[in-house]
Amino acid sequence: MSAAQRSGTDHAGCVIGVDIGGTFTDCVAIDGNGRIVIGKAPSTPPDFHQGFIAAIDVAARQLGSTGEELIAGARAILHGCTVATNALVENRTSTATLLTTAGHADTLYYMQGGRRLAGENARDIAHLAGPAHTKPAPLVAKSHIVEIDERVGADGAVVVALDEDRARAQIRERVAAGADTFAIALLWSTANDTHERRLAELVREEAPEAFLSLSSDVVPRPGEYQRTVATVINAMIGPVTSAYLTRLGERLRDIGYAGELSVMSCTGGLIDVDRARRLPLLTIGSGPVAGLIGAGKLARTAAGDADPGALDAVNVLTGDMGGTTFDVGVIRRGEPVTRTETRHGQFEYFVPTLDVRSVGAGGGSIVAFDADTHSLRVGPRSAGAVPGPAAYLRGGTEATVTDADLLLGYLNPENFLGGNLTLGVQAARDALEAAGGPLGFSAEETAAAAARIVDDQMADAIRLSSIQQGYDPRSCVMYAYGGAGAVHCPQVARSLGISTLVIPLSDLAAGWSAFGVAASEAQLVQDLPLLAASPFDPEALNDAWRELEATVRKSLPTSMLDADPVFDRFVEMKYTLQVNELRIPAPGGEYTTETVQELVDAFEAEYVRLYGQGSGYPLAGFMITSLRINAHARITEVHLPASDAVAPHQVTPTGTREVIWYELGRNPVPTPIYDGADLGVGSEVIGPAIVEFVDTTLVLRHDQRAIVDPYQSIVVRT
Amino acid sequence: MTTADFDLNSYNSIAWDGVIHSYRPSPDWRSRVSPGLKVAESADADLDPVTFEVLRNRLWTINLGHGDTLSRMSGSPIFQALDFNMSILTEDGEIVMSAPFIQYLNTGSPLVVRYLMEHMSENPGICEGDIFLASDPWIGASHQMDVCIAAPVFVDGELFGWVSNAAQQYDLGGIVPGGWPQNAPDIYSDPIIFRPFKLVEKGVLRPDLEEMYRRQSRLPDMVALDLRAQLSGCRFAVKRLQETCDEFGADTVKAAMRRVLDTAQASFARKLEAIPDCTVSDVLYFDEKLPGDRGTYKVQFNITKRGDRLIVDNLGTDAQIEGPNGFTYMNFAGIVLGVIGQTMLWEHTFSLGGAERQIDFRPLPGTLSCVDYPAAVSGSVLNVSSAYMRLHNIIGRLQACDPEQQADIVVSGPDVPLVVISGSDERGNVFGTALTDAGGFGGGARAHSDGPNTSGSSYIPMIRMANIESVEQFYPLLVMYRREATDTGGAGRRRGGVGMDVGLTPYHARSIEMVTNAGGQGVSTNQAMGIFGGYPSPTAEYRMLFGTDVGEQFAGGHMPTDIPELSADREEVIRGKSNGTPILPGDVLTRTVCGGGGYGDPLDREPQLVATDVELGYVSAAAARALYGVAVTADGLDPAATAELRTSVRAQRAGWPAVPQALPVADQPTSTPATGEAPRHVGEHLTARDDGPSRVLACRHCERPLSDYRGSYKHGLLVDIATLDILPRVKDPRFFLDAEMEFRRYCCPGCQTLMTTEIARSGDPIGEEIRFA
Repeated sequence: MSAAQRSGTDHAGCVIGVDIGGTFTDCVAIDGNGRIVIGKAPSTPPDFHQGFIAAIDVAARQLGSTGEELIAGARAILHGCTVATNALVENRTSTATLLTTAGHADTLYYMQGGRRLAGENARDIAHLAGPAHTKPAPLVAKSHIVEIDERVGADGAVVVALDEDRARAQIRERVAAGADTFAIALLWSTANDTHERRLAELVREEAPEAFLSLSSDVVPRPGEYQRTVATVINAMIGPVTSAYLTRLGERLRDIGYAGELSVMSCTGGLIDVDRARRLPLLTIGSGPVAGLIGAGKLARTAAGDADPGALDAVNVLTGDMGGTTFDVGVIRRGEPVTRTETRHGQFEYFVPTLDVRSVGAGGGSIVAFDADTHSLRVGPRSAGAVPGPAAYLRGGTEATVTDADLLLGYLNPENFLGGNLTLGVQAARDALEAAGGPLGFSAEETAAAAARIVDDQMADAIRLSSIQQGYDPRSCVMYAYGGAGAVHCPQVARSLGISTLVIPLSDLAAGWSAFGVAASEAQLVQDLPLLAASPFDPEALNDAWRELEATVRKSLPTSMLDADPVFDRFVEMKYTLQVNELRIPAPGGEYTTETVQELVDAFEAEYVRLYGQGSGYPLAGFMITSLRINAHARITEVHLPASDAVAPHQVTPTGTREVIWYELGRNPVPTPIYDGADLGVGSEVIGPAIVEFVDTTLVLRHDQRAIVDPYQSIVVRT
Repeated sequence: MTTADFDLNSYNSIAWDGVIHSYRPSPDWRSRVSPGLKVAESADADLDPVTFEVLRNRLWTINLGHGDTLSRMSGSPIFQALDFNMSILTEDGEIVMSAPFIQYLNTGSPLVVRYLMEHMSENPGICEGDIFLASDPWIGASHQMDVCIAAPVFVDGELFGWVSNAAQQYDLGGIVPGGWPQNAPDIYSDPIIFRPFKLVEKGVLRPDLEEMYRRQSRLPDMVALDLRAQLSGCRFAVKRLQETCDEFGADTVKAAMRRVLDTAQASFARKLEAIPDCTVSDVLYFDEKLPGDRGTYKVQFNITKRGDRLIVDNLGTDAQIEGPNGFTYMNFAGIVLGVIGQTMLWEHTFSLGGAERQIDFRPLPGTLSCVDYPAAVSGSVLNVSSAYMRLHNIIGRLQACDPEQQADIVVSGPDVPLVVISGSDERGNVFGTALTDAGGFGGGARAHSDGPNTSGSSYIPMIRMANIESVEQFYPLLVMYRREATDTGGAGRRRGGVGMDVGLTPYHARSIEMVTNAGGQGVSTNQAMGIFGGYPSPTAEYRMLFGTDVGEQFAGGHMPTDIPELSADREEVIRGKSNGTPILPGDVLTRTVCGGGGYGDPLDREPQLVATDVELGYVSAAAARALYGVAVTADGLDPAATAELRTSVRAQRAGWPAVPQALPVADQPTSTPATGEAPRHVGEHLTARDDGPSRVLACRHCERPLSDYRGSYKHGLLVDIATLDILPRVKDPRFFLDAEMEFRRYCCPGCQTLMTTEIARSGDPIGEEIRFA
């Protein structure tokens, strides 16, 4: 009899989502009745699996069970894994050896020239003599880059045959020198991967244990710089991720878990362990993506309740404000917005990811006087977790946004992080006074200024991303989470004209990514690069779709095959003579001339939507540059039960505090303070008000109305 | 004539009307604006610093969104290399903020805006929803291909401000495809000029005018897409500015715009105050007025700093000549502003209008750096970038006089040797493009660190060098190799970043023809100039290998990755200006683009850094020895041999003749009396101090007096006059030129520190460099 069978309770068959962050490991367990509990435990680097088990244990106790019981009886264990991210950030990666096409060893070093600066802030770009203009340390030393005599052309033809003997000798030499991690990135392997595959065989023959990363496998997308970076990073983090997942898998099996471990990916879904081992790159950035998926799940559930037909029209904007960054994600008409490239510092690389963007605005962002513009600036420098805000009393002396929040009365010095950290008001005051002094500002004035500037910076960031991602913030429901999300987003939402703001599932907010992991589907995203010009031949497209579908089917794990996967199709299209593509959903089934025309029409409609009436130029013709299949399957059913609706009712505040509302003036106003634990479904709070939860604080501006909905989320009408 | 005896009265009588001379608004230009145009001039008097900061961020965001709209909508690979810029301007055409793209490209927008207001506000009028197009280089376009789009921003029926962008088009006619005709004797062979006209009337694009525009191009579809991108960009920025005015109130937004300008101006003025009054000058040369010409033409910049102002003139510059060589006034002013924006004003993120208020531009028209109509100018735009690069060193000499600003010096980067190809592929599809695959120029050295390798170009800080896979996707080419190039960064205590070597051959091409277009003396003599004893970077190169065995080598299973691996029927080094070189199957085109100039004496570079450079292939062992005095063997650095080498190089320098013995020296000014002030560092190698009854310039390292304070310190140095080929990779310039070019190295007679280097036409006087007042 297994532990779960013995227990015989309703927590048998839990779906367990675990998200490992830098500091804490969060666990969300959802039992068969939709009951949700969370567990939090310190992360335990480098043996992250210990924190993993510990967090489940905390959650299990709330269900009257133990971690081992919960694991053994789990229906699914789903995992958001930052092992790769941490290894990369902390330079604890393997040394990769790169095999690349003869004549092109320096691709990684160019960084596409000035393109490397695209993610830097304005001043750093302007400051030619400044640090951003110095290139970062290379990912692979020149001595570890091997040029292979071979060449494939843009049309996929072999121009120079692979010199296998020489390649084998070169590989052997590197292996003898200790190389055990290989990245293989050849020109045009997207059009013909024969040489890459053959080289992989040679490496396997010479070094059977080596970790291998192939560009045609990692991300088959033309553009050798970004593809090579992706392939190299994938190799660098491969061994550490593999080792971790192996240890974790063994531990779970020892406990009695017989199911599959699934790992969250940045594509927006869960992948099986084998795929995560092979493509650890997909785990980077999966935390913020999981948050977006969680918000989407909640939004769909809420929208479905109101109007089942509205599911596809859901527009969601997520704002995750933590210590160092503000991460923004978008779901547009039911579909998360995706992108094809991302960055590791100044290294840009391809990866099919949901488009969650980071802005350097968080609780730790530094507030400082700027002599040159004679103004106060907030960020992009951050005090991070160490030393952190001045109020943390950990040695930080520079003022931060958190210090400002404290002095304005948003935060309760005695009740921060559930009372686990006492904030130093005087330290915050001193730091803010120093920052605003040159402007003649008092500490309070400086605090008000900092809050206003950072709120506006976040709104600006959303305005800019809305141009680039093609959405109107006013059509979105905004979901705010992360420690400081509920503090600042009510004002951000108001200034963007967003009418509804949701603080999801109240006390779940801090474990939000873990919930997102638990709410995710299994997914496999596969691209097929193409260069097809209009008029499109439907038969050629049908052939390409068949080829791509076959590839996907071959790669699908059994868990997905058994779960009735849905194949969503997308094409990347552009006007001929254009360089930038748009990705648009494509119909399934066999294509005819009519289907092809539908595609073109959809492309043109999207183009006009993004760029305005009259901006398209159909006379130039059209090109399809890539096909994508997003295969997804629901391997777990997470049902969020709604409580019965309760008529709106007021809650009694626990007291009042002096709070400065910068939009109304500089004088503190006595403001009611609520304890989040007192709020239940139907509870209503009208701003100005502060609602204190264990992990976050809701700062409700004037005339904003917050009500707890049947899912325990706080819905704010801004 | 020198700057001192400049006749301001006669200068002020020049007719800057945009007909023969360039357009420059006269001080009373506003009096000619139609009274029917309501101009919003009011601004809040008491803008609080917080709203200011919020709005400053907002304006920046609008510019970035404007740029994003342009690059994402546009079709041309040129736009993808971010060959554009955009600005937000006040109602009277001051640039409040530009974007981080090509830094001089849209500096003509104030000229366009003021021209429109002065000449077109009555008829055809300036109304809400209008958008104007202008490509006249004698008004505000850098050259005809950089088409400027400007849109007024109206709030409550009043002209609140302007937004504009300028962007490079693929083709707008002229005798050579691509818009850079090297064989245009005058403007009538150049791409077409558009005098400013109203393309969009009250929100409606005039189809007749768009047709007129498209009709000029060999690729009308391409320019139509780009035009739409530019219009959308302006529309976007207008809308966002209007929304911002709705949100904050127009007077508040205007107050923020004014304060952006005021703070940038004040900051720039403050930096200038920290520098002693002086005049900095530099001379550079342009080669080849028309393809095949062997002439050398002189261009000089003089920047006089007085108090908190600059005066910029071009005395010493040759008169304009036939062929595409010179540039118009817009560029003369724009490159000065562009360099200042990146070196002295970076805290203000391209708020160029603030700096412009502190500068008097006084170029003489009819000269190479301020040409009159009807000079050919489209094909000479790379001379603009050469001059831009040289200005880095001129501004750098000013910055070096203030220890706080010294860290912001960026030495000259290299020129941009361009290749434009056109032709058809195997299936007969016609193509044409400027190649952007060799955009890995190295950066100039900084006072504190080496220049970045293969980093792009300073004046396009975010330039995207194309992937091989995008070049080969669009054009019938195969790039055989592309690598960081040894010895292409200028030597120095801080080394210039290196450039790259690229080799390509046709792939499934029917026919390809090439136009080359190189600025300055980039292929004959050198690229970036060094500073404070730093060396120049060497020449760029275009080389054609006709009828090679590349096909046989491919078939035999080998990719040749360097010139010596190929055997060719014939080799030819292509000139900086050339048209119509065919590239046929089996031919190979190789290019070298260079890096930046060096900073400081190469003998002062830490030997281990040189050894590492050798190991990584950035410096050859031969150059390490010859230029740095560092011995590197297969085992790495040889410290003993290095010490010996350096001692012997210094001994050689001690034997160089004194400057007055080697070069003609002009009269020294009268002696400057001692001031009693403390010694002051005025540059990397110089100290100004009292020496008995006189104020002198002395070596900062060995304290030896070199000249009177107001004299040329170079007169007190030792000099070596060498041929250019002592630089690695540089060949005899006489292959291209009639003139003899010489490389002059100047060292301190006391400590033999290499203080400065210059490249001059034989017989030309010593470069003035810096003269204190």
